[in-house]
Amino acid sequence: MTNIKRVVFVFLTIGVVLLTGCSPFFVDNNTVEEIAPVIFWSIQDGKEGRLRISTMVPPLINEKKSLLTKQVDLLKQGRKDFNLIYYRELKLGQLRMVFISEDLARKGILPIIDTLLTDPDISQRLYLVIVKGNFEDYISNQVVKQENLDYFLYRMLKHYDTKNQGEITVTNLHQFMKRLYTPFSNPILPVYKVNKENFVYDGTAFFRDDRLVATISDMNDQILQLLDNDYYLKLLAIPSLMVTLGQIHSKVNIELVPDYSSISIKVKLDGRIEEYRGDKNIFDSDELADLNQEIESYFKKQTTTLLDNMQQWKVDPLQLGTHSLAPFSQPISEEKWLSAWEKMKINVDYQINLQTMKNMNR
Amino acid sequence: MPRYLVKPYMIWGILGVGLLSQINLMLLAKLFSSNYYAKGYPGFVQLFGKNAVRFFTFLGLFPILVKIDVLTLGVGEVVHQYIFPSMNSNWLLLSIFLVCFYVAVQGMEKTIRFVVIVFLSTIWMLIIFCPFFFPPIASLHDLYPLIPHDWSGISWSGLLLVWTSMSGPEMLVYLAPWLSPKQKMLKYLTIANTISTLEYLLLFTAALLFFGSNYLDKTRFPVLDMIRYLQFPAYERIDIVLISLHMFVLVFVNSILMLLFYGAIRILMGKGEEQTTLKGFTASLLIIFVSSLIINQWFWKSGGEQNIWMNLQIGVGAFTYFLVPTFLLVATKLKGCFKA
Repeated sequence: MTNIKRVVFVFLTIGVVLLTGCSPFFVDNNTVEEIAPVIFWSIQDGKEGRLRISTMVPPLINEKKSLLTKQVDLLKQGRKDFNLIYYRELKLGQLRMVFISEDLARKGILPIIDTLLTDPDISQRLYLVIVKGNFEDYISNQVVKQENLDYFLYRMLKHYDTKNQGEITVTNLHQFMKRLYTPFSNPILPVYKVNKENFVYDGTAFFRDDRLVATISDMNDQILQLLDNDYYLKLLAIPSLMVTLGQIHSKVNIELVPDYSSISIKVKLDGRIEEYRGDKNIFDSDELADLNQEIESYFKKQTTTLLDNMQQWKVDPLQLGTHSLAPFSQPISEEKWLSAWEKMKINVDYQINLQTMKNMNR
Repeated sequence: MPRYLVKPYMIWGILGVGLLSQINLMLLAKLFSSNYYAKGYPGFVQLFGKNAVRFFTFLGLFPILVKIDVLTLGVGEVVHQYIFPSMNSNWLLLSIFLVCFYVAVQGMEKTIRFVVIVFLSTIWMLIIFCPFFFPPIASLHDLYPLIPHDWSGISWSGLLLVWTSMSGPEMLVYLAPWLSPKQKMLKYLTIANTISTLEYLLLFTAALLFFGSNYLDKTRFPVLDMIRYLQFPAYERIDIVLISLHMFVLVFVNSILMLLFYGAIRILMGKGEEQTTLKGFTASLLIIFVSSLIINQWFWKSGGEQNIWMNLQIGVGAFTYFLVPTFLLVATKLKGCFKA
């Protein structure tokens, strides 16, 4: 008898613990049939300080999907207004992505982010994405062709986020906030270019405080991935040298001179040549060394230009400033670092170790 | 708690407070070896005399009341905010009190045994903080600098909070009659103290790595935010489960404190030696419940800053933890001197 009692007790406890969110007494009505969990929000600059926000409904059931758009003064006001024009109640518990338009990001996004942070329903793993172009057009054009458009977008971000796949920048709410508040680091967000047909990764946006100041793309973005973000790229194409490198891992060694007058960045790249369409015979060790040399100097030039640009934009997305910290010394102030960073002399050095594929046809 | 420490070098602060607490526990262990305390109420009467005991009990009511109220309201606020935002918080308080009432009615012995359940259902939670020690969000720089450059940077109120969090063992003096007198008290107290110190260290370091000290300063419930960041494939709102499990601790502490409160009231009414009654217990519990309702309704200001009640609780907790063992030990020694 006591055994049965025990089993019942255990099940009851588990039930009580797992069902805490669903209690019907005194609390929110969360009947699945009556709510519409929102997967993404897209926020654009609505002119004159207003916001233009849109989302897609319904995410769950088999009903024709449509895009809801509202011009609002406040973000949460938008949520309320959506509820008034749609028969289900929108819930933010499943909000996974927020797309912010580029011109809005240039004005500062802290108010938006604060609103998202204060809501206990919204996960801190919310992906933040900067969008160049008209996102509404894309959605309304594609929603007919792809049924689960919103979910697919989420899967893509998720794919590159979970296992540090390299390739692209993915930032969530928490990472953005941590970088925003930590001294010596500037937040970064991915940038996507969007038109009627496509939603394409375009590069990385650099923020100073909560304002977007610059975006980088293509080669610069790949260098950023190697220097800071994932230290790994699956593929790296260098069209000007007619070569594609694959499986590149990078080791970055940063040394800061104590008076902050110069910084040396040594990068070691390991990878393999996956494609070559130039006119060198890369199976000849001398010519391979030549190619290596060319790639090294190419990288060196690109990286130096990128870092120079960062100095001009007064941003430090690589968090180079954190190298001035040490366990047993007083940290310098952020202003001091920034003024030093603008004038800092940068030495970049690459060391590239490439393997050629044995069975390549020459 | 990590919220009030913020700077990385407070790691040493936690260690320091842990050591101080250890010294205090040694005093406490010494107390247990004297035979006054194992007897319970008669022992105290023997030590101080009846009226003095009454007076001290009267003083004792206040910290117990503050402790119960602040703990319940504090945890209640978290539950309210994260799990039942649309519910009236008074109902929440009532349900917490009903559970505590149920546990406490079982009697002191069963309530003390309840600690095993509490320990088993909460100690594993520390494991889930381990992922924060590994990249990508974490970097070693978040722990720098490890030494303070001036004294003003040290958060004394934070250290006081750690000290208060360590408090609680002083209550064991009044529970002595229910504990086996032959146990090696110091050994168990040391183990418990080490576990708490390590627990706070782990939480604080994890919070630093996760938030960085500047962002940590701006976060209201850092530990909860960390839990919410964790991802499990089957169940997303893991914070709901963990907050619920954490309620076990609250129920345990509250029940013990309620029983102590009832005991104190009985001594105050001069009925220390008589049989306990359910009616009396319910009455004393009503006092506690009503007081917490009043505080909740009119005096509890939830906001970014530590409110006055929290500060009061921290002060009182730190004070009793510091004073009770020393005071009782001195009293015992003096009594011994006079006898000899």
